Parts: sequence; C-alpha cells; structure tokens
Amino acid sequence: MPVIESIDNIIQLVTTGFCTAFSASRLVATKRREWAILTLAGAVCFLGDLYWQLYLLFYGKTPEYSYISYIGWYAGYLFLSLLVVEIRGERKSKYNRWLFLVPAFTIGMGIFYLQWGDLIGNIISATLMGILIWVSVDALIMAKNEKKKEGVFLYITILIFCFAEYAMWTASCFWQGDTYMNPYFWFDILMSSVFLALPFALKKGGEI
Amino acid sequence: MNNIENIFMCLAAPLLIASTVTKERGRRLMIFMLTGMASCLFSSYISTFIAAAQGADVISASLEISPFVEEIMKLFPLIFYILVFEPTVTSDILDACMMTAIGFATLENVCFLMTNGSEDIIELAIRGFGTGTMHVVCASFVAFGLLHLWNRLWLRVAGTVAFLCAATTFHGIFNVLVSQTGIPMYIGFIIPVGTMVGILVLRKRLKLSGII
Repeated sequence: MPVIESIDNIIQLVTTGFCTAFSASRLVATKRREWAILTLAGAVCFLGDLYWQLYLLFYGKTPEYSYISYIGWYAGYLFLSLLVVEIRGERKSKYNRWLFLVPAFTIGMGIFYLQWGDLIGNIISATLMGILIWVSVDALIMAKNEKKKEGVFLYITILIFCFAEYAMWTASCFWQGDTYMNPYFWFDILMSSVFLALPFALKKGGEI
Repeated sequence: MNNIENIFMCLAAPLLIASTVTKERGRRLMIFMLTGMASCLFSSYISTFIAAAQGADVISASLEISPFVEEIMKLFPLIFYILVFEPTVTSDILDACMMTAIGFATLENVCFLMTNGSEDIIELAIRGFGTGTMHVVCASFVAFGLLHLWNRLWLRVAGTVAFLCAATTFHGIFNVLVSQTGIPMYIGFIIPVGTMVGILVLRKRLKLSGII
C-alpha cells in the first residue's frame, strides 16, 4: 500500500469531514437549505474517500472496478451544482455566449482522457463537471452583471475545486510515481484545501 | 450455493396470496415488499452477470459491483410507481421506499441464513438489524430526494440521482466493513443504526423549522 496515497487520502478525509461537520452545525443553527446541500456535498465526498481508504487498508490495493468511490464523488459534483443554483436564484437574462466554451472544454478534455480511462466514466465525469463549471461561471457572470457580491467567493472556490480536479486527472495521465514530487498529490492537496474553504466561502458571501 | 429463486418463491407465495385478499394500503405494502424481494433476486442475477463479464472475483463483485446494482434495482419499482400511478400523498411514496427496502433486506438475510447457518443468535441478531437498517437508511436517502427536493423537475432528478449515489457509497462502505471479522465487522453493523438515529433526530429538528 503506497504510504503517500494513504496520507493524501487521510488529509482529504479530515478536510471533507471538517466541511461536513461545520456545515451540519450551521444547518442546525440556521436551518438554511444551502447548508443542508453543502453538508451533503461534503458527506458524499467523505464517504467516497472513506470507501477508498478502507479498501486500501483491508485489501492493500486500490479498488479494481472503482465504481463506488467515483459514484460518491459524482454525487459531490451534483450537490455542488445544486448549491450554486440555490444561491444564484432564478435566472432572468439570457445565457452569455462565452458559456458555450464550457461544454467545448469538458468534451475536449473527455476525449483526451479517453486514451487512459473508460468511455462511460469519462462521459459521466465530463457531463457532471460540465454542469458544475457551467452553473458556477453562469452564476459569476450573473453576479457581475447585477453587481451582487453575494456568492462570488463561493463560485470562485467551486471553480478552484474544478481546476484542481482537472489538474489531478491530467497529472494522473502522466503518472510520476508514488512520490511527493508527483504533481497529482499537490493538486489533491489543493482540492482538500478547497473543502476547508467551502464552508467559509458560503458563510462569507453565500449564506442569504 | 443458494437456489435464490426457490427461496424467493417460498417467501413470495404467502405474500402474493395475502395481497389478493387485502385491500388498499395493506395490499400496496405487500406488493412493495414482494417487489423488494424481486429486486434482490434480479440484483443477484445482474451482479453475477457483470462480475462474469468483467472477470471479477466473488469479493470484488460483493464490494464493488453489487452495492451499485442493488441500489439501482431498488429504485426502479419506485420510479415505475411514481411515473405510472402518480401518487399525490407523500406517505404513499415513503411507504413504497421503505417496503421495497425491507423486502430486499428480508430475502438477502434469508439467503445469508441458508449459506451460513442459524446457530449464533447474537451474531445473527446484529446482522439482521445491521443489514435491515442499512437498506432502510439507503431507502431514506432516496425517499428524501424524491420527496423534499425543490419543485423544478431537473433539480429533483439531479437531487435524487445525487442521493442514489450517496446511498450506493454508504452501501459499499457497509459491505467492505462487514466483509471483515471482529471489530471492523461490528462497526459496519453499528454504522447504519447510528446513521438512522442521526436521521431521525435531524428530521425532527428540520421538520420543526419547516425545511422538510
């Protein structure tokens, strides 16, 4: 069992656990739906990481078919998308045409990753990340047009999450080995840090 | 090796007969319990097929493939019920979710008994409560998505899929823990019970504040 992978997983378990616990405490205190959604987003990512770590611990290898952990993370993308939609509120204006670069980017990256990954997994990842980036950028544009500051920190934090995810996937295509010099682990740490930042981003700007 | 279809027939027959003489809610509950057992039967076939197609061994199939297949198979009868019968009463949908989960857990537990014997009452009681609660917790996740998430259809669909994914991951963790012996196995059986208690407490608090 690679030690660095376990350390990386445990760091992410701690940060997703923190995100879940903090959001749950805010949910109980404020009874707001957005905190319920962030609690769920943190919890499903925590469960995905926990499954991965338990499998590593008991069987000494990573899951061969990988469905379960990935499904947890896919649920995380969906809950984050729902969170952005909840904070953003009703759309009134037309979509900005630059937004259509988002599906072009996710489809392009999906085709690039096909050299290494499976077809179905790539389609699901590209679709869910496409939705998450789309709603976040759209919400950011809406906030700029309407000169609103609420939620901006949250949208930017979620976009950093998406950047870290894509950077990790790309780094894993050119695997540098189980060493701390591997950029994959740097971006995974960045993603773990995003889970620490998400509750504060919601508290600062998104909590309506 | 179990002949799961024979076990299914033995359990389903009295329920099937009872469902012809009962009416309304009683009949609906029995039919959903039967449907849950049928979902378990089909899950077993589909998991075996996928495992064979991918060349997975028994452990990998149980830990990585069956949680995914089982949660999806449990959802199909509910989707059918909601789309075809269009129930308007919330408690009807909740009943359907719960009875499907209970039927599923019942057939699974009986198959476990047939394979492993029924000597150790303590371990069987822990397993019975653990597995039963795990299926009910997973059904609660999906029911929450179906019942309480927003008014717009796409948000409800996205939310339900997200809860289905959460249920699958929870189920996977349960399977990994209970595949061990000793303390990890007992932790595995306790987690669903603890989660159920947490859900009940949270539901009471959120209901009081009008969130759900």
